[in-house]
Formats: sequence, structure tokens, C-alpha cells
Amino acid sequence: MHYIEVKNLAFRYEDEPVLENISFEVDAGDFVMLTGENGAAKTTLLRNILGLLKPSKGSVRISPTNRNGEKLAVGYVSQQISAFNAGFPSTVMELVQSGRYQRGKWFKRLDKEDKEHVRRSLESVGMWNMRHKKIGELSGGQKQRISLARVFATDPDLFVLDEPTTGMDVHSRDEFYKLLKHNSSEHGKGILMVTHDHEEIRNHADKHIELVRKEDSPWRCFSMDSCKELSKPQSSFH
Amino acid sequence: MFFHGFMQRAFEASILISLIAPILGLFLILRRQSLMADTLSHVSLAGVALGLLVGINPTWTNILVVVVIAVVLEYLRVVYRTYSEISIAILMSVGMALALVLMGLNEGGATLSMNQFLFGSIVTISKEQVWMLLVLTIIIGGLYFIFRKPMYILTFDEETAFTAGLPIKTMSILFNVLTGITIAVIMPIVGALLVSAIIVLPAAISMRLSKSFNGVILIGIVIALIGMLSGLVASYDLGTPPGATITLILITIFAITTIGKILFRVLNLGRLFKKKSA
Repeated sequence: MHYIEVKNLAFRYEDEPVLENISFEVDAGDFVMLTGENGAAKTTLLRNILGLLKPSKGSVRISPTNRNGEKLAVGYVSQQISAFNAGFPSTVMELVQSGRYQRGKWFKRLDKEDKEHVRRSLESVGMWNMRHKKIGELSGGQKQRISLARVFATDPDLFVLDEPTTGMDVHSRDEFYKLLKHNSSEHGKGILMVTHDHEEIRNHADKHIELVRKEDSPWRCFSMDSCKELSKPQSSFH
Repeated sequence: MFFHGFMQRAFEASILISLIAPILGLFLILRRQSLMADTLSHVSLAGVALGLLVGINPTWTNILVVVVIAVVLEYLRVVYRTYSEISIAILMSVGMALALVLMGLNEGGATLSMNQFLFGSIVTISKEQVWMLLVLTIIIGGLYFIFRKPMYILTFDEETAFTAGLPIKTMSILFNVLTGITIAVIMPIVGALLVSAIIVLPAAISMRLSKSFNGVILIGIVIALIGMLSGLVASYDLGTPPGATITLILITIFAITTIGKILFRVLNLGRLFKKKSA
């Protein structure tokens, strides 16, 4: 099942082409890494996929349902998310709990299962002890971790992550990738992640998409090199 | 003073304003739209001037004009996303210019009424206004109770809200319209020039005192009640404009809490509470 289907996507900022000929799919259970040099329009591509920007050509389709036929939940962590307003009046707990709202809890109380998800998510990023802190009092790295905890609390079918490991040490990054791999291979989550950690993540990801500069274009325009299949361990969703 | 009918209505209105101001104020601050309230209050002057010119109850023309401008504001905010203050600058000038031109066309007669709308008056609060305020309070309170979770996400991060499937455009427009209507209704009481201060200040103060979202709103309501009620009494006793008096009291509370927080930090008073709870 294609959670994301991108067909011949092109995007222009005013008259300047930025992306061309982008086509790929992310399926349930796929862990796809998206790389490219600085300024290779990786974030622009993600924003096109999520509907935050409109492609000038081609199409993007995000499946409305997950593999169980329920409404597909998307968990998005943007590059700037951890730079949130220091004065935002919220505790770590409130913010991570808000991840559960899109699981049909916009107008309902959170139940025991929701609270358990929140606890596990905070523990997975080592922030359970900080749950009563005001989010504005956290360091940059801690903000990054609670942003990820919020997405884990959502338990989304599709993770869209834009350089989520910025500011993490090697050990934390490795733990994080293992957690993502577990989510994709054991729970059938689709993952599309922009990253610079090519080598570290190769052992975990299933596919690698690299955006490369088009040599024949006078503009700084990027296209897909290819969508390479990486070593694919056995999983129940392939 | 409590036996005067107009003072009873003024107290009723103040209590109702205190319930809604911190809710709207908090969202305005977090969406970096604190000045939107100011813009809408300037625009409402044009609505009042229009009502006085054509001989219709100015509150209704005011609501109509403010609702239209609230929608335009949202459009301009999206167009000038990076420089959202441009929309405020444009519409504030348009509002003032329109108000002055419409007042000029009215050839006198409207000056006294305009003064009431500019500076506010507790003597002129009608039963109709209190009822309108009550309906508005019930609507805003109900909407907050129902939509507090989506609004929390919307104010935290619009992109997160969008990817979570929330109709962010509709929510933003609805919020602007509600803010506009509130300003149009409370403007005759507190005055166009200071209505935004009364909406924004209680939330601004309580944001420094509470860690949690709901805590900010609850403390904000208490602060607004203290500011509004004491301001009203002072305004009656001293014969000063209510909006200005209330604003000065709120500013005083702001100064006291700021100094208190600094002292708390410098003297490290937090450790006393930690010891007690240990």
C-alpha cells in the first residue's frame, strides 16, 4: 500500500525551477531516507508532499487510510519545530499529550491507553523526569527530543521527519534510528526522513533517495538521482 | 454606587469581559497578533462613524465592518506571512482614515458619540449591550471548551496543525471574526484606544505566572477580574475614563508580578518551596 505516491513532481519558486522529475513511493513498512547537499530543496520536497506547498507540475497523493482502513495519521517534525516560542505556556507533558489528539481525541478525554503512550514516548527519549517542566525552560536538544516524543505519542502511520537528529550525539542517534526501524519493520509504519547522516542510517533504512543538482539547468534545480533499495531485512510488512 | 442601575450594568459587563478577555488575549499573543486587536479597534471606529452617519445603531454597523476586516486581515496575514505586521499597518491606517472621513461627512453631531467610543463610558452601558456580552461570553466560552485542543495545536505550530488534518484557515478566520465581534461589543465600554490593552494584558501577565495552558487562562481570568472591578470602582470615584483606569491598574499588576518574579529568582525563594514539599 502506497502511503505516499509522488509522480513526476516539479516545483518552482516564482519562475525559478527548484525541483523536477521527482517520482517515488513510500509504502507501509518502508523506511526511506532522503538526502542531498545543503540547499538541495529537501525541505521544499517534504512541504510539497504534505500539502504545505503546491507542486507546479505532477502530483502527490497521501493515502487517506492506513493498512487497516482507518484514517491515516501523519506525524511531522519540521526542522524549525524545536525552535518554538520560549514563552509558549505549556508543560512538556501537555505538549506530548497533544500528540494523542489527532488519534480521535480532539473532543474526548485522554484515556489510560493514551496516557501509557505518552509515558512510553517520553521515556523513549529520556524526558519522563522533565514532564512537569515548562517547555520554554528546556535546552535546544531537549526541545528536539520532546518534539520527537510528541510524534511517537501520536503513534502515526506515516512519519515525515526533517533532520530530526540535529543536536543529538552518536549514541542517541543510533537509538533513535533503531526505534524508527522497529516502528517500520514491526509495526508497518511508513517513514520518510530527511537526513545528513548517510552512513549511520544506511544500516537501518530500506530505501535511499538522493536529490542531485541538474547539470543541464542554468538554475539551481534538483532532481532525483534514483530510489535505491538498501539492504532490506525480513519484516512482516514486505 | 452599587445602587445605580448603570453601575450594576457596568459591573455585569466587567465580569463578562474578564471571562473572555484572557482567552482571546492568550491566543492573540501566541499567534503574534497582539496588535490585531488594536487594528480592529481602529477599524471599529469607522464602523461606529458609519452607523452614526446613516442613522443605524453603531454597534451593528461596527460588528459588520469589523467582521469584514477580520477576514481581510487573515488573508493579508497569509499573503505577507513573513512580514505579518504589514497587514496591521495597512488596515489600521484604512480604519482611521475611513473613520475621520465618515465623521467629516456627518457635519458635526457625531463628535460627542465618537468621544464615548474613543475613551469608553460606563454611564452609557445599556441592558442590550450586557445581553449581547452575555451571549458572546457563552459562545466564546463554549467554543473554547469544545475547540481548546485544536486551538492549542494551531497556536503551537500551524504546520503541525495542518498535517494533523485541522482546517487551519477556517479556524483562523473564525478566531479573527470572534475577536472582531468582541472588540465591537466591548469598545463602547472601555474605549477604542485601550480595548486591545484590556484584552491582551491579563493574558500577558498570567503567562509569566503559570506553566500550563489552562493555568494561564484561569489566572488570566482572576487578574482580569481584579483589574476590571477595581478599575471600575476607581473610575467611578475619581471620575476618570474606565478604559484608562483599568489599563493603568493592569499595568501596575504587570509591574508588580515582573518585580516579584525577579526578586523570587534573585533571592532563590524557590528552594523554600522545594524543602517544604520534600
